[in-house]
Amino acid sequence: MARLVSQIAIVTGAGQGIGRAIALGMAREGAKIVVADLNATTAIAVQEEIVAGGGTALAVQTDISDEESVRATVAMALQEFGRLDILVNNAGIFPTSPVEEMKEQEWDRVIGTNLVGTFLCSKSVAPQMLAQRSGRIISLTSGRAFHGAKHGAHYAASKAGIIGFSKSLALELAPSGITVNVICPGITDTAQPRGHQTEEQIYAQGQRIPLGRIGQPEDLVGPAIFLASDAAGFITGQTILANGGGIMW
Amino acid sequence: MADKIAVVNGGAGGIGQAVVKRLARAGYAIYILDSNQQAGQATVDQLRQEDCQAEYRAVELRNGAEIKSVFAAIERDTERIDLLVNLAGGTLHKHPIQEFPLAEWREVIDVNLKATFLCCQAVCQPMRQRRTGVIINTSSNFGITGGAGRTAYAAAKAAVIAFTKSLAVEMAPHGVRVNAIAPGLTATARVRRGYSDTQWSQLGERIPMGRAADPSEIAEGVAFLASEESGYITGQTLHVNGGMIFN
Repeated sequence: MARLVSQIAIVTGAGQGIGRAIALGMAREGAKIVVADLNATTAIAVQEEIVAGGGTALAVQTDISDEESVRATVAMALQEFGRLDILVNNAGIFPTSPVEEMKEQEWDRVIGTNLVGTFLCSKSVAPQMLAQRSGRIISLTSGRAFHGAKHGAHYAASKAGIIGFSKSLALELAPSGITVNVICPGITDTAQPRGHQTEEQIYAQGQRIPLGRIGQPEDLVGPAIFLASDAAGFITGQTILANGGGIMW
Repeated sequence: MADKIAVVNGGAGGIGQAVVKRLARAGYAIYILDSNQQAGQATVDQLRQEDCQAEYRAVELRNGAEIKSVFAAIERDTERIDLLVNLAGGTLHKHPIQEFPLAEWREVIDVNLKATFLCCQAVCQPMRQRRTGVIINTSSNFGITGGAGRTAYAAAKAAVIAFTKSLAVEMAPHGVRVNAIAPGLTATARVRRGYSDTQWSQLGERIPMGRAADPSEIAEGVAFLASEESGYITGQTLHVNGGMIFN
């Protein structure tokens, strides 16, 4: 039985990796997906993939670090579908630099995208969810939020910030029946770690993870659907770690 | 015969009844372990009326030998236990520390923590041999926040979290996942009886979502942790508490 029938979901960074898997997974559960990505080409490709599978999707080029762009995306979603049930804050960037050499501009870009972008998207969907008195906001953090990241201090800070932000937003929106939760992947088999690690390094990490392998994008789909579904209606402000036991919290 | 077997320790309690119903709906044949024979048999009868397979086994949680033999018998009959849910437990005794009798303190630890250990131990070897299995233990918001008068219960429930993490690390190489669920205030008959109407509504107001959990909402969390959808989740604690505390 499909669990998200006719729900409208915005998934940011849905053009690739974890965002794409979550978008496809929610579409399989009957949700109509706004495929938001900075890269219009990949967004359209995922839209076509959803439509080919019998689903409904709308690709929108979105820069989550830009308030106007985010507002426009939400407006387009509302114009197309008339309501908003789910926001998945997945988009993020992960450049690397040692703190000593880190340019302020790079710091601003990472915080501005990962953390401020999550704030902007959440802020932009809040009025509609408050009016509906229902909604689910699900944000992606990272194991780096818990154990830090060598050469990724801005990334770790942004991802830890998402947890603090989400707990606070959960408190603000709980009286209106809107839940706000976080999903924490471990290292996942996507393009992201390939920016700064070799294939060997990536797969070697699987041996140190209790379940014996690195994550696949599909591993995050079940938790995302669960948090978006009726089944998780009393869960808010929490962080679900789907990381093979890599960090236990 | 259902193709999956779940043993639910404490399956006749307030949360337990909701959990066994939900698991039966997910296709499990259920073995209910409970010290309350009357409630255990009644829950089994109810499940059978809904065409679900269910069995009741009496178990005294402080009797390690009995726990062992009950699990051994189920293992012999079914040749598979796919899921163990340890729900049995409770506050049992509330006293200020200076008045807490040692015997009662020990009882709380035994029923909430030691019984969880013994039940896990009983299924670990067969699950390891079959290289599959899921274990779900029960913590509580008190395991994180503590509670006046509940030194024993809070200690036991915090300990369940650390025990769960340790067992998760031990069992992960063998394909067995171990997680905990941590309910907040839950509207079971037993809990509800402990409060006046005024107290109850005041408690609800302190919860961000404005109310206690329905037992069915805890059951949904258990069903998620039991399912393949949480296949990459182990060693974690799922808090179902309306935002009462955050992990």
